[in-house]
Amino acid sequence: MSAEAEQTEKPKAAEPAPAAPEKVEAAKVEDKVAAKDDGNEAGDKEDGDNPYLAVANKPEVEVKKKGGKKKREVEIAVRLTQVTKRFGAKTAVDGVTMKIKAGLVYGLIGPNGAGKTTTFSMMAGYLKPTEGAIEMLGFAPTSVDELRSRVGVLPQDAILPASDTVGEFLLHMARLQDIPKDKAETAAREVLAEVDGRDWWKLRCSSLSHGMAKRVSLAQAIMGEPEVVLLDEPTAGLDPRIAYEVRQIVKSRRGRCTLIVSSHNLQELEEICDAAIILDRGRVVAHGTIQELTAASEEIHVKLAPMVADYRTGDAAPSLSAAIAGVRDLPMVKRVEFDEEKYELVVHFEKKTVDAETVIGGVLWVLLNHRARISSVSKGRGLEQRVMELT
Amino acid sequence: MSPATEVNLVMLRELRRNFRSVKGIILSVIALIGGTGASLLLVKFQEFKRTQFADMSPEDMTAIREKGLSQVYDTDTAKSLSTSPEVLFAVLMLTIWLTPLIISMLGYDTVASDVQYRSVRYWSVRARRWSYFLGKFVGLFLTISAITLAMHALVWVVCIARGEASAGATFGWGIRFWATTLPMSAAWCAIATFISALFRVPIWALLVTMAGFFGLWLLWVIGVAGDWPAFTYVYPNTYDKFLLSPHAWRAITGVGGCAAIAAVAVGAGMTVFARKDI
Repeated sequence: MSAEAEQTEKPKAAEPAPAAPEKVEAAKVEDKVAAKDDGNEAGDKEDGDNPYLAVANKPEVEVKKKGGKKKREVEIAVRLTQVTKRFGAKTAVDGVTMKIKAGLVYGLIGPNGAGKTTTFSMMAGYLKPTEGAIEMLGFAPTSVDELRSRVGVLPQDAILPASDTVGEFLLHMARLQDIPKDKAETAAREVLAEVDGRDWWKLRCSSLSHGMAKRVSLAQAIMGEPEVVLLDEPTAGLDPRIAYEVRQIVKSRRGRCTLIVSSHNLQELEEICDAAIILDRGRVVAHGTIQELTAASEEIHVKLAPMVADYRTGDAAPSLSAAIAGVRDLPMVKRVEFDEEKYELVVHFEKKTVDAETVIGGVLWVLLNHRARISSVSKGRGLEQRVMELT
Repeated sequence: MSPATEVNLVMLRELRRNFRSVKGIILSVIALIGGTGASLLLVKFQEFKRTQFADMSPEDMTAIREKGLSQVYDTDTAKSLSTSPEVLFAVLMLTIWLTPLIISMLGYDTVASDVQYRSVRYWSVRARRWSYFLGKFVGLFLTISAITLAMHALVWVVCIARGEASAGATFGWGIRFWATTLPMSAAWCAIATFISALFRVPIWALLVTMAGFFGLWLLWVIGVAGDWPAFTYVYPNTYDKFLLSPHAWRAITGVGGCAAIAAVAVGAGMTVFARKDI
């Protein structure tokens, strides 16, 4: 809210609002119920303890900016209510409801045809929902004047205008974002430097490689510090180095805005997102924090190597079953599974009584005492595995 | 940001795009070469006419022209036009017939290509759909106006250099004739932009634009042949009869007719585009 902003309206809330954290910290949500599969809704549960997805009762405050333009300070950055999109007889998105809290990095996950891009396109105002309603920062996505410079979008397959130079394109976008003429070039050059393209100003957009074009496209999306940034497949088709750089740019925006990332790259999403929604055939199949989705606060995975004899003492190979039994006897452990094919131990625990780090310590202590050979340890089952289970 | 600023920014970019694109440059060059070539041919024809009808007085020549023009225009308009430099009038006719072709070639992808390549998505979060459409229309109209002005200006130079008319008469009639083309161009541009906004595939937009323009001409032919004036009024070029009239009220009627066609097409285009999934 600008210094000149004048509060004109403050509607009463039905319930007192839980304090919303400015910065999201994953550890604070460990007591959140794991992602559920019982409905086509995300983030509308009565779970005030979840700072990621809970319905905020904090009232939306409508303020009037200088010049009379209305701007709402909102707790929920994006709200979809029973949104359906049909293309003829085909239903691409089927009654999706979700709420995304301001300040989050949120992933949209799903296989091809799950409805990710359609959902994304409706959020960006490219497509109109057949049914239901969408709000971006309290406004319809097509309310351009209210959302101008507050929402940045990286569309997936949009070609940059071939006849423009990079500088002309970014300058034009900056001017349309209402950045004053005397500051537009500085803003455009700064954001171009941020995507490591400071030398591209005079290059024609048609001469850019795929990676360069993607970064210019990203530059226009993050120009002017928008409050919500929608990124559709930000690293698709990029080589690993450029994809890494793009991820770093996205990460650097963490905490500065609400980021919604649609991607196939689950490792990437696991790395950069606070929370995610998993779509399949146009419906929500799971949602929650990454911790919840991967069950990172409920189970640990210990990858083992086959037991071998001790070459120094000549002792025979120890018994793996004894090691597993030792783990099972730990008081903090609820259940133990051993996957013989993967040679992996899955240790389940009660997240309300103990945290994953304590369990890892205890399990490793037992395994090492049984001379087990440990290849790796991880919290949860990984987003990829979770998505494979659900879709 | 006001819609007017959005329209202005989109329009300025459209102008840059049109004059920078290979298609825009080629069409401009063809229009200029065509116009200049035609004007030189006309000058030669004038020379031939002067030698063939050397014994005829200028008054008689004017009377014959007036008689010819009165076949198409009303008496007052024919009388007025009969005193204009012939070369300039011929270029006006050339422009009136050529402009729809240039507009269809230049305007068919003005919106459709942005939708096809999804570039429009960069604009849709920053500009109202309708102001984007309006900016595209104004940009196309100004491009066409600039091309026709350049074409006419070249002919003015030829006209003065060859002594076809005095500088005063050349500029007086020349500017009036060029201004006459503007309302008709606006109507054609609006129709082309509207059709372009209907399609995702530019080639379909081109085919439908050409078919649409031809259809309007056909309606005009039917209207003239069947003596159904209402049919002729949907064809923008029919308004040259009004626009060239020496009477202000008829000229204003002509401007109004073209403006009405443009307004309907632009209004329909803005409405369709605002509702379109992009």
